[in-house]
Amino acid sequence: MSKLKMMSAAVLSLSLLLAGCGNSAKESQQSEQKKTSSSEVKITFLNSKGEIQAQLEEAAKEFSKENPGITLEVIPAAAGQSPFEKVTSMYASGNAPTIAMVDPGDVKKFADKALDLSKEKWVNDAIDGSLDDAKTEDGKILAFPFAVEGYGLIYNKAVLDKAVGGNFDPASIKTRKDLAELIKKIQKTGVASNLLSPMDWSLGAHYLTIGYSVQSNKFEEVEAFLTNLKEGKEDLTKNEKLNGLLDTFDLLKENNINKKDPMSGTYEQGPELLGKGKVGLWFMGNWAWPQIKGFDTTNGNYGFLPVPISDNPDDYGNSQISVGVTKRLIIDKEQNSPEQQAAAKKFLEWLVYNEKGQDFLVNKANIIPAFKNITLEPQDPLAKSIKAYMNNNKTLRSMVTLPPDHWSQVGAFMQQYLDNKIDRKQLLKQIEGYWKSQQ
Amino acid sequence: MSSQKFFDKLKIQLLFSGPTLFAFFTVVILPFLYGIYLTFTNWDGVSANHSFVGLKNYLAVLDDTAFWTSLYKTMKYVLLTVILINVVGFFLAYMLTTEIRGKNLFRAGFFTPNLIGGIILGFLWQFIFSNVLVYIGEHFKIGIFSSSWLADPDKAFWTLVIVTTWQYSGYMMVIYIAGLMNIPKELLEAASIDGANAFVRLRKIILPLMVPSFIVCVFLSLQRGFMVYDLNIALTNGGPYKSTQLVSMYVYQKAFLSQKYGAGQAEAFVLFLIVAIVTLIQVYVSKKREVEA
Repeated sequence: MSKLKMMSAAVLSLSLLLAGCGNSAKESQQSEQKKTSSSEVKITFLNSKGEIQAQLEEAAKEFSKENPGITLEVIPAAAGQSPFEKVTSMYASGNAPTIAMVDPGDVKKFADKALDLSKEKWVNDAIDGSLDDAKTEDGKILAFPFAVEGYGLIYNKAVLDKAVGGNFDPASIKTRKDLAELIKKIQKTGVASNLLSPMDWSLGAHYLTIGYSVQSNKFEEVEAFLTNLKEGKEDLTKNEKLNGLLDTFDLLKENNINKKDPMSGTYEQGPELLGKGKVGLWFMGNWAWPQIKGFDTTNGNYGFLPVPISDNPDDYGNSQISVGVTKRLIIDKEQNSPEQQAAAKKFLEWLVYNEKGQDFLVNKANIIPAFKNITLEPQDPLAKSIKAYMNNNKTLRSMVTLPPDHWSQVGAFMQQYLDNKIDRKQLLKQIEGYWKSQQ
Repeated sequence: MSSQKFFDKLKIQLLFSGPTLFAFFTVVILPFLYGIYLTFTNWDGVSANHSFVGLKNYLAVLDDTAFWTSLYKTMKYVLLTVILINVVGFFLAYMLTTEIRGKNLFRAGFFTPNLIGGIILGFLWQFIFSNVLVYIGEHFKIGIFSSSWLADPDKAFWTLVIVTTWQYSGYMMVIYIAGLMNIPKELLEAASIDGANAFVRLRKIILPLMVPSFIVCVFLSLQRGFMVYDLNIALTNGGPYKSTQLVSMYVYQKAFLSQKYGAGQAEAFVLFLIVAIVTLIQVYVSKKREVEA
């Protein structure tokens, strides 16, 4: 009797367990069916640009209003988490976002999961070169260029006007010598000349990579240079351009407002010092504008200076600033239904061709779009400055497809150099070592 | 007959432990085995296919000097924190089992840091080390505080040790208090009648009887020290220039930032072996020292 009870209890509990599994499986099937059968389509958007989360949510609402039947949910990637990390975990859980905002270097990793976008209308309106690193060899386009960003030495015009005694002309700085003189002039007015922030991403991904971009004005040659580096064929200590860039780094380091304790600086310090006119120059990009705005004392008079690499005004890089597509959108074709993919395509189109979409990109999110047809002028001075460099064809191509840990590893070497823990030769040897380990 | 008995037993076993076993197997054992399998591949974390590379990842671990430096740093960190946490924890417990006014308040106070998560603790102390102490240092001309501790590799390492000690000594204190309360009062009384002073009582009676508590506390602090990640990322984020990157963080970054999943997984497995060996030795050695009252 008791045996029977035991048995039945075991069977019962087991069947409960199985029933639990079975139910959930059925449910998920049902929900998927619901997704595909009804006209209501729900798509998700993984946002890895935390600063525009609120604006994106706003845009998603606008989009749904104009396209009834499509709801767009914006999922934020945690600050400090790489978008690749977030997307991989979402794929692993079978919950891939319909649209994912990833770094350009990661796009090719999703080659077998990303929808081919080469038939989209916006492909023809994209600015030159903005699709290059999203193209596969067989002509597929895997990603949408979401944001163009640029960086260089941001100047506070009020401080510089005072230093040069008149109207400062950014075109007057063409060489390292010019920059050195400008720094002296700023210091004479009793203001610190510049700030060099010690974040690894700023030094590793932005400052040092200028040294790669200026190797040649042909991108194939830059790529060949990187291949040589990987194979250990490049002697960086003899590389004139990279050394020139580091000479400028020494100049900035020598006059850094944090010189006494260079590693103690934070990103948050930058906008305040520059906005309040306590320094004249800050090496950073246009994404800093919302923060600078909070401390602005010059009525929005800021702009970019190139980082000079030599004393010859004609050298490539001395009058150009680094500009590139820094965020791309991919559409998943593996875990999202065709309806969801179509809705996602619609959203991308909305961003490029709809008035409200354009308004969101340019005016709300302060993004420089990568499309020729968008004629809205950027509102903020840094974006304006970048646009001006772009219109004059004075841009370096940003190195956005480096190995994923380049910024962190090389950034750490640059920090050691900034803190005078290693010398130039050690720095260059470490960079060579990093590239050799990438084979 | 006996086989019948065996099956009966098995049935009962499965009835009670089956569900747990099932859960343990699916969420611990399977991922663990799958993880070991991944160490033999070159998977990058997302691509649909990966190829088998044999022992290449393990050879890469041997070659990876940065991994061994971070492991060495972790060892140093573990050694320092285990000693400090347990010394401070025991001291607090000893003081708070004597007749002190408001000891419950103190106990609660020292325990509180343990209730705050590592990430929040990290940000809190980051503010203290790089703002509050610097402000005090500049104001009162105290040289050691005049610049941020987090900007200097050696001092940044010490910030990790200090904050960890602060966080866990209260927790260990609770375990020690429980141990101290369990020491038979008559032993101590008899000893003091025999003329043993406080120090002798501590050395000859309390410490030997506290060995079980020490085993637990040292084990806990060892294991937590090796596995520390949240505090590391929130307080120093490995900086300045990766000088305080402890091994958990290093492995994580290898797998997810450098996108070398196989290599990162292999390093994690090596780390697992080391931690397992160290903690087993610790438990084995200290078990031998246990005494009965």
